[in-house]
Amino acid sequence: MSTLFTTVRDTLRYKGREGQWLWVLHRISGLGILFYLILHIYDMSLAYFNVPVHEQLMALFKTPVFSALEMVLAALLVFHAVNGVRVALLDLRPALWARQQLATRLALIITVVIAAPTIIIMLIYTINAHLSAAATTAIR
Amino acid sequence: MTTAGSTTVHSVNRRTVRPVAPPRNGFERAAWVFMRYSGLVLVFLALSHWGFQHIFNSVQNLTLESTAGRWGVTGQIATLQIWFWRVYYGLLLGLAMLHGLNGLRQVVYDYMHFKPLYWGFMTVSTLLIVAVSAAGIAALFLGVNIAAVGGAAVR
Repeated sequence: MSTLFTTVRDTLRYKGREGQWLWVLHRISGLGILFYLILHIYDMSLAYFNVPVHEQLMALFKTPVFSALEMVLAALLVFHAVNGVRVALLDLRPALWARQQLATRLALIITVVIAAPTIIIMLIYTINAHLSAAATTAIR
Repeated sequence: MTTAGSTTVHSVNRRTVRPVAPPRNGFERAAWVFMRYSGLVLVFLALSHWGFQHIFNSVQNLTLESTAGRWGVTGQIATLQIWFWRVYYGLLLGLAMLHGLNGLRQVVYDYMHFKPLYWGFMTVSTLLIVAVSAAGIAALFLGVNIAAVGGAAVR
């Protein structure tokens, strides 16, 4: 436990600037995506192995709480992809390290440029689905 | 600059303060290379999958029927279209799970310093990931089990 405390404290204290913060975010987003991936593949495998439970889970994933989590996941996925490209390119072409600070800033900018409209589109889909469901109920 | 195989693994230029020893060949080096190349492939596979299901479509519209449209239904002879989805989803699932498993291993190795805890956690995680992956691949090739909900009950 004390080693865990030291690791977390030193992660916060280490002055690695943008590069280090992206490293921390890359790990957190990666763990988040893996957690979702396991849940998603488990759910999809039930489309063969247990259809009623699969249907229940799909209904659960359409609730507002899971829609919100889905938007967080979108941001994590886009960040992990864009930052991963930065890491891979700089590792495979070390000459690019001369511009590493520009690369970290570009990664953040490209993440926001892709993730922001993605989340807005998902928000519109979600609101429309709940509004049309409410309208159908009102007519009945 | 030192190169091993076709991959540049080490470089000391004027800006490098701390020269890093080139990694020896072995599992760790293979894992390092795998993370970079699988990551680059996953950018296309995972983001296109995300785009299909969450931007051009929505989770709100997903039904058993739409899944059956890509996987086929149990007992159906696979068309070329179904084989396309099998290859695409199979590749995405396999690469993502291996990439995720190795990423988890790297993070856990850094924070779980008590060896029995580390090995215990990684054994359970690996078994879980292998089991879920196997179930996912099996379901993908067996198709949506429409008969289980009486066929006609599918919306």
